[in-house]
Amino acid sequence: MTGPILSIRGLRKSFGATEIMRGVALDVHTGERHALIGPNGAGKSTLFHLLSGHLAPSAGEIRFDGRQIGGRSPQAINRLGLARSFQITNVFPGLTVFENIRLAVMRPYGLQYAFWKFIDHDRRIRRETERLLELVRLTARASTLAGEMAYSEQRSLEIAMTLASDPKLVLLDEPMAGMATEETQYTAQLVREVTQGRTLMIVEHDMDVVFSLSDRISVLVYGQVIATGSPDEIRNDDRVKEAYLGEEVSA
Amino acid sequence: MDQFLVSLMNGLVYGLLLFMVSAGLTLIFGMMGVLNFAHASFYMLGAYFAYMLQDAIGFWGALVVSPLLVALVGVVVERFFLRRVHRYGHAHELLVTFGLSFIIAESVKLFFGNYPVDYRIPAALDIPAFSVGGAQYPAYRLLMGGIAVAMFVLIYLLLTRTRVGIVVRSAIYKPRMAEALGHNVPLVFMGVFGVGAALAGLAGAVAGAFYTTNPNMALELGVMVFVVVVVGGLGSLEGAMLASLLIGVITSLAVSVDRSLADLFALAGAGDWARSVGGLMTLKISSLSATIPFALMLLILLVRPGGLMGEKD
Amino acid sequence: MKTAFLCVAAGVAALLALPFLLSQGLLNAAVQMLIAALFATAYNLLCGQGGMLSFGHAAYFGVGAFATVHAMNAVGGAGLLPTPLLPVVGAVFGLLLGSIAGWFATQRTGTYFAMITLAIAELVHSLAPHLKGLFGGEAGVSSMRMPAWGFDFGSTTQVYYLTLGWALLCVALLYLYTRTPMGRLTFGLRENSHRLRFLGYNVHGLGTAVFAISAMFSGVAGGLQVMSNESANYVVFDPSLSAAVILNSYIGGVKMFLGPAFGAAIMTFFGYAVSDLTQSWLLYQGILFVLVMMFMPTGLAGLPGMVRRLVQRFGFAQVMPLVALSCGAALSLGAGGVFLVELLRRVFSQDYRAAIVAGNDWPAVTLLSRDWLPGSPITWLVPVALLAVGAALAWLARRRRAALEAAEAVDAAAPTALEADAIVKEGLA
Repeated sequence: MTGPILSIRGLRKSFGATEIMRGVALDVHTGERHALIGPNGAGKSTLFHLLSGHLAPSAGEIRFDGRQIGGRSPQAINRLGLARSFQITNVFPGLTVFENIRLAVMRPYGLQYAFWKFIDHDRRIRRETERLLELVRLTARASTLAGEMAYSEQRSLEIAMTLASDPKLVLLDEPMAGMATEETQYTAQLVREVTQGRTLMIVEHDMDVVFSLSDRISVLVYGQVIATGSPDEIRNDDRVKEAYLGEEVSA
Repeated sequence: MDQFLVSLMNGLVYGLLLFMVSAGLTLIFGMMGVLNFAHASFYMLGAYFAYMLQDAIGFWGALVVSPLLVALVGVVVERFFLRRVHRYGHAHELLVTFGLSFIIAESVKLFFGNYPVDYRIPAALDIPAFSVGGAQYPAYRLLMGGIAVAMFVLIYLLLTRTRVGIVVRSAIYKPRMAEALGHNVPLVFMGVFGVGAALAGLAGAVAGAFYTTNPNMALELGVMVFVVVVVGGLGSLEGAMLASLLIGVITSLAVSVDRSLADLFALAGAGDWARSVGGLMTLKISSLSATIPFALMLLILLVRPGGLMGEKD
Repeated sequence: MKTAFLCVAAGVAALLALPFLLSQGLLNAAVQMLIAALFATAYNLLCGQGGMLSFGHAAYFGVGAFATVHAMNAVGGAGLLPTPLLPVVGAVFGLLLGSIAGWFATQRTGTYFAMITLAIAELVHSLAPHLKGLFGGEAGVSSMRMPAWGFDFGSTTQVYYLTLGWALLCVALLYLYTRTPMGRLTFGLRENSHRLRFLGYNVHGLGTAVFAISAMFSGVAGGLQVMSNESANYVVFDPSLSAAVILNSYIGGVKMFLGPAFGAAIMTFFGYAVSDLTQSWLLYQGILFVLVMMFMPTGLAGLPGMVRRLVQRFGFAQVMPLVALSCGAALSLGAGGVFLVELLRRVFSQDYRAAIVAGNDWPAVTLLSRDWLPGSPITWLVPVALLAVGAALAWLARRRRAALEAAEAVDAAAPTALEADAIVKEGLA
């Protein structure tokens, strides 16, 4: 697969008179870990919404894996190999953690309309679900209702559900929000491991994680990408410093 | 032509009546997100209260006091029932209003019996207004329409020209913001609920004398009111007016159309075939007049769920 | 798990034994009870499990009923299928209408979905009286059960066992459904249909399928009713049947699989049993529904579970007084309420009003084979006292519950002996 796996050109999105995306251009190379940073309100979550099919673009194009995905439905985009997690936890609160992950695991095995077999008898599904549970360290909480867990545990569940469909491109929206240091370190390592052989796009505010985890970083400010590059390049970029810190800070 | 005019006027008056009941319902939905199943019950209570009060304080007195009593009932429903189940979500609130409508209907049957009561227009008002094509057009119909129009104007002016109106509209549109600005939003909710109920009660007091007053009137009108608010757009007052008139006129005109689908096919020469098929083909439009509003509602829900004047989906 | 299985087994055994325990009249009520329970369980698939509140489910029950009655009359009266297999026709037509209606309705969610189902039901309801060929006009369509497989299906007992067989089969199938992938996805629809989209599922297709299956089993229930009554009438499309299944399901409790069946069973059975004693049964049902929705959202079937959880938390000794108080409150409030309603019913009835002669005292009203004078204050004091006692008991129960919870919170926050020791040592150091 030559060329970037995700290619965004001139992406615009307006809500009535308010323009949130003002012409975003971005390439994500296959297999890279690409972080998306920027001040609050820059439009990072909106970009994820546009990529995952939650919103349709007002203008511009999004190419994923050679296909136009701008404006397609979330289920179509997911089946093409793009999976996302949510900034605000978006799980099945009244079901157990095990059930949550299992629902995510079932789809790649084509089990949507299967009403003739018992789910408990399907060993592949069970093994896969247990594997994901183990991966995010939630095995002890398998029978807990998802809505009754601590916030950081719910974030881990989000990650597990996002990975369940074996996606080519993973979008993680602030996966470590609300986590303590040790959990953050574990999750960062987890993210590094599970995205081997996949492409990752991650929004995070924890700069340590961003700079250590990512291959390239894009900076989104007021609906536009003002800089893209390696962590070192971004760290030393004047425009980025200005955007984050306001006026030039004379060291 | 005269028949058409009479049908049209009847339809307009019926539509205005529908508006009086649906205005409150659409405002309550826009404000609280709850579709108040018991709203048509307020209509029924208005008629029954007026019937009870008529002997004591006269027809006009009953028209004034009955809506106030219904407003009280509305306030009680909001304060002691809906507010308590608010935390369980909209579906739960909807079901509670559904249960309350049931209780109100059964209570009416308890106190007044399961048959119509003799609530009538006073003789002084039972006069013709003018003649159309040889038949007399009742003045009372005009009165009903007049009251409805006056109510619409009053509410519209209240909402758009007064300070109270601005607060209410902001509470309807963005309740949390209004609360953050220091307005007593729970009081506004209670007030809008009460006023909406009073409107429905007034409609009942006025219409119950002309049409019949019986324990099933809530159900008969209630479904039509839902159609109106859905077609007009949940939360839109103008939409409710437009949809009420539309449905009132269509229903009224349809009743006088004695044609059927088979006649349509006859224009293309396939009349006999259509008639031999029978069933839906030979069903007269006049028989379908009750069905048309539901077909319209379905159409709107599927094509433009925001309603004619509501927000675009 | 084991207790649940034992309960179900006991219940089935009781149902099998009913014809030997009940009179023919009550056995007929039992047949209606089974049908209502099946309808409620089918309804709950869509409502409690799928999270889609349908207000017009009578349409699918009715379509199944009419399809079955026409099937019974087909082939010159011999019936399209042997009598025991006839409900299949109800299933097929319920499935058909359910697929079409569901395809439209599940395009929207929440209140809009409910309105679409209401509109569809009202559409059918208003069309039915005019399509006399299909729905038979005011007299409806009647038929007769034909003998098959060695039975003549003439007696109520045989009809009961036929109905029981189908009801058990369908409820079992519906339960097994919850253990399939699609069954688990149905819960996902309720919990978060939005997320399902992002997991790659076709949520509209799923919703339509669930709607169709729910309508299919509703059609079976309709077919069973027609076979029992040997007639079908378009009043089945009345909103009151849709209302009844909603009331029954929520009174029983929609979060448990057998909750709606339980609610439907007791409501239907009681409705029949007390129909001679009172005209106000629907009013009681409505009041019970609102009380359940406001104070016991888990429904009546959820009460044993709730008590068990309380006992686990607070211990048997603490919880028993609470249960006693609550039961006392319920009985007292119930007795007072029923007394008041029945009194009012009689005082406001037409016969009574005709008997009032101006100037004289109002005549006595007979309740519980005693005469009560409406003029005398004692007559009204009795229900008021009962209601007051009930309210007081309920308030006491509430206070006790709050006290238990407060004590638990204090216990959780209080230091253990070791910790207390350490605190003291630290203070002294």
